Amino acid sequence: MKKLNKYSRREILKTSASSASIFALAGGFPNILKAENNIKIGIPTILSGRVAQLGISVTNAIKIAVNNFNNAGGLDGRNIELIIRDSRAKPDEAARVCRDFINSDKVDAIINAEASGASFAVQEVVRESGTLCLHSVSETTSLTANPSIRAWNTFRFSRQGIHDSVGSARYAAKIAEEKGLKTWMSVNPDYAYGRDSDDTFFWALEQFSPGSKIIGKGWPKIFQPDYTEVITQIARKKPDAVYTSLWGGDLVSFIDQASLYGIFKNTELFAINLADYTTMSAIKNLPEGLHSGTRYVAAWPNTQDNRDYDKSYTDLYEDHPTNWSWSASVAIDFLINALKETGGTDNKKLAAAIKGKTRKSFIGVGDNNSVSIRNRDQTIIDYSIGWGTTISNEPYMTGIQPADWNNIKELEKVWLTDKNWL
Amino acid sequence: MEIFALFDCIISPACLISQAAGGLKIGMLLFLVASGLTLVFGVLGVINFAHGALYMLGAYFSWQLMSITGHFGLSVILGALGVGIFGILFERILISRVYNAELLVQILLCYSVILILDDLVMIIWGDEFLSGLGVPELFQVPPLFIFDAIIPPFHLAIVAMSFIVGIILWFIMTKTRFGRLARAAAVNPNMLEALGVNINLLRAGVFMLGSFLAGLGGALAASVGSVVSGMGNSIIIESFIVTVIGGMGSISGAFLASLIIGMARSFGAVAMPLFTDGLMFMIMVLVLILRPEGLMGKKK
Amino acid sequence: MSFLHKDNFHRDAFLGLIVWLVLIVFYHIFPDPGIHDIIQKVFILGLFAMSLNILIGYLGLIAFGHAAFFASGAYTLGLFLQSDYVLSLGGLSIPIAMILAVLISSILAALIGVICIRLNDIYFSFLTLAFQMLIYSIILALVSITGGDQGLMGGFPKPPFLGIDLGRPFDFYAFTIFISVITIVLLRQIIESPFGYGLRMIRDNSERPAALGFNSQKHKLIAFIIAGSIAGLAGSLQALLDVGAYPEWAFWSKSAEPLFMILLGGMQSFLGPLMGALIFELLNDFVTANTRYYGLVLGLVILCFVLGLKKGLLDWILFKFNRK
Repeated sequence: MKKLNKYSRREILKTSASSASIFALAGGFPNILKAENNIKIGIPTILSGRVAQLGISVTNAIKIAVNNFNNAGGLDGRNIELIIRDSRAKPDEAARVCRDFINSDKVDAIINAEASGASFAVQEVVRESGTLCLHSVSETTSLTANPSIRAWNTFRFSRQGIHDSVGSARYAAKIAEEKGLKTWMSVNPDYAYGRDSDDTFFWALEQFSPGSKIIGKGWPKIFQPDYTEVITQIARKKPDAVYTSLWGGDLVSFIDQASLYGIFKNTELFAINLADYTTMSAIKNLPEGLHSGTRYVAAWPNTQDNRDYDKSYTDLYEDHPTNWSWSASVAIDFLINALKETGGTDNKKLAAAIKGKTRKSFIGVGDNNSVSIRNRDQTIIDYSIGWGTTISNEPYMTGIQPADWNNIKELEKVWLTDKNWL
Repeated sequence: MEIFALFDCIISPACLISQAAGGLKIGMLLFLVASGLTLVFGVLGVINFAHGALYMLGAYFSWQLMSITGHFGLSVILGALGVGIFGILFERILISRVYNAELLVQILLCYSVILILDDLVMIIWGDEFLSGLGVPELFQVPPLFIFDAIIPPFHLAIVAMSFIVGIILWFIMTKTRFGRLARAAAVNPNMLEALGVNINLLRAGVFMLGSFLAGLGGALAASVGSVVSGMGNSIIIESFIVTVIGGMGSISGAFLASLIIGMARSFGAVAMPLFTDGLMFMIMVLVLILRPEGLMGKKK
Repeated sequence: MSFLHKDNFHRDAFLGLIVWLVLIVFYHIFPDPGIHDIIQKVFILGLFAMSLNILIGYLGLIAFGHAAFFASGAYTLGLFLQSDYVLSLGGLSIPIAMILAVLISSILAALIGVICIRLNDIYFSFLTLAFQMLIYSIILALVSITGGDQGLMGGFPKPPFLGIDLGRPFDFYAFTIFISVITIVLLRQIIESPFGYGLRMIRDNSERPAALGFNSQKHKLIAFIIAGSIAGLAGSLQALLDVGAYPEWAFWSKSAEPLFMILLGGMQSFLGPLMGALIFELLNDFVTANTRYYGLVLGLVILCFVLGLKKGLLDWILFKFNRK
């Protein structure tokens, strides 16, 4: 009879020896010979699964800037080396990847391209280590707005929920006045971003259009394939307008399915994430006159710099940049500038060279087409936010109106005070 | 919990009919998929955890066919058939090796196939989601109004189609020789083999039928929804819930359970929009506790 | 050293101590933090997988919903350390948090177990899964307490205790391995005790136990509770490592991970799941560093084991050795 549950000393030693050698080998993988004086930037992101486009469009954008930098001689001969890892959209994987970046790869900075959930995990890891971290995807307001979450070494370069919501609500209120829209419903994915979006949009709408009545809210799960139960409620209650922060494939499904009910004939749709090339071109029979925010479109801001940005990306990758691309591009731009200004990779000096900095940007609408990293909460401001209506052909959007940043900043202060975050 | 909203809805004909129609559509589409799952379990004794991946393949195949032919009906049917053929290969090459293996082995085999297919479709069709097939011309008409409730004709077509498929399935399983042999094989495969029946052919046939159903469900879902890697993962959980509630192996049970789940989703969205999934699982827990064999299942 | 061949507590404890000491020395010989991270993860996930193997390997019950207890341990620790009790408890916070994590997980396991063990086979499996997904839905719904889909945000303090500062990498490494080794040694005693043999009896032949006047339902429940408690312990360690807790840990795919590990390492040997955790972690690390298609690679590996080896690696190794 085999005695499978007893093991001899020989077996233990043999197993441990082979395990030890496996460990040694494994340790070698991340540390294959690399030029030691490279400036290392770690990028945790999502490269697999249905949201793979996020990681792809971010890393594409960063690579353009880094290649230009390296080809121009780098930082006194020091090149930037990108270390890109897939966390498969799992927060604990993202945390592990970051720890590896910091402890094993010894990166000089991290450009975080994780979605909102995992970004909080990344925030905790870099908070402990003090590594410079530039968030370039998460739009959840609290990441920088909440004083107990932000840190001296972390900066946000992606758009922020509260800014978008104020811009959206102002536009929506204007349309509401023009067309007499009084009753509202919402359809938002039931996760942090969707809840945040719903919360801030309707708060801001209340400020601009005090008479609006919210007659129902739909909360589908993210990536839910069938929106019937939400759509039937909209079809039944017949609101004047619907606000949705659904994005990507979900938004396509929602619009396709809702069209069957003829909803958009009598209801104005405000879909903040609609104007994205992939999304728009994927909707069968795109109804005209839907309202959308400009996530990233080559036509807005209407400047040569922006058109050049789109072209340089499209020529290389045969695909348009996404909303995630622009914030990554701005992040690497600020980082490269900081490297040049400080001449080195000291994280405290780099942070100081980013904090409060204003720079010209293809996406900037501040003075001289600039964006800035605000001192108080180390988040980006004066980036392009616009709203317009959809048409079925390129460039897919028309009548784009820019948001007013003075207005946004004012209301942002009110909202933050409400939350005791100011 | 918005109990008053639910109450208000039930007493208003427009709401009741709207939500009920919606629930019917959700349920019937779910039935299409779940019937395949329960069929395979009932006859082959295998829980095909990869059933959702087959659904996803149905969506991708029909999308591809649509981009080639531009014909909706053809794309859907051929797409589903394509999945049926894939199912035969899957069964012969992989599933047949684990018929007598432990449950754990079967589950892990199926799960590995999901992992592989989820990545394969991204390699073949790219990582971005694909646009849906689009509603066929015939149904691009204004919706119907029944007692103030809005009902899209396309949904009626889907419901009708699923119903017809269900009837055909019932007919096949009860009135044809194939069906009778299949049901006999579930009980005593050795006897059948001794009688000269080609068991392997039978098994492949049943699996093909189950896969066809999953593929059909996926193709129909792709008509009004985006096609993307991993889209099978939510449907497989729902199919499991349906199969468990209805009774594993019972097609009529799957029908009943799908309707229940469809209605629970639809009315649940009115009463508890933030906990509709939780509601599904609560129902599943209750059924397993009170009547583990399911509503129409046989007690072992 | 003949006492090493005796299968008893002293031998196990001695071996455990040796392993711990060897790994401590290892830490200083190989200073690469990446390797240390892997070793820690292997022990945490190994505990999780070994706890599941109590049910799968020794009891013959396939539980699909085991990650519910991993998550309950993680959230309990996280919530406790985020609460104000930490201020008054100071250095006692972490030990108390961990004890609470194990306690809550065991209570949860008792409640769920008592209902689940009444069912057999596939129905048992599905019910455990249904309970897990129900818990997942609840975690998501209680946003104000659990943070919903984002998990516990903002981190939590890790006050030093007994001279151990879990904020220091070495301390965390040594502590995690120490706790894991102790748990494994204790688990071994349970598995090799009459109780453990009772479990095997239930697995192999469900009629004989009753004929011997043996209450198999009670045995099953106790095993279920032990399994849940150890999973909760593993979850609490994971939470300490990531300084947070995430709803993904309560999703059904998290329950699939220990199943993979049991497959990869083997369910018939005591340390099989731990070996499986090692293979899984190395695979994870290697694959994500080299390709986007993690699912494809993992799926193919599992297929190889399922169709090819047909048993876990450690099982296979021991099988080969014992044939001599």
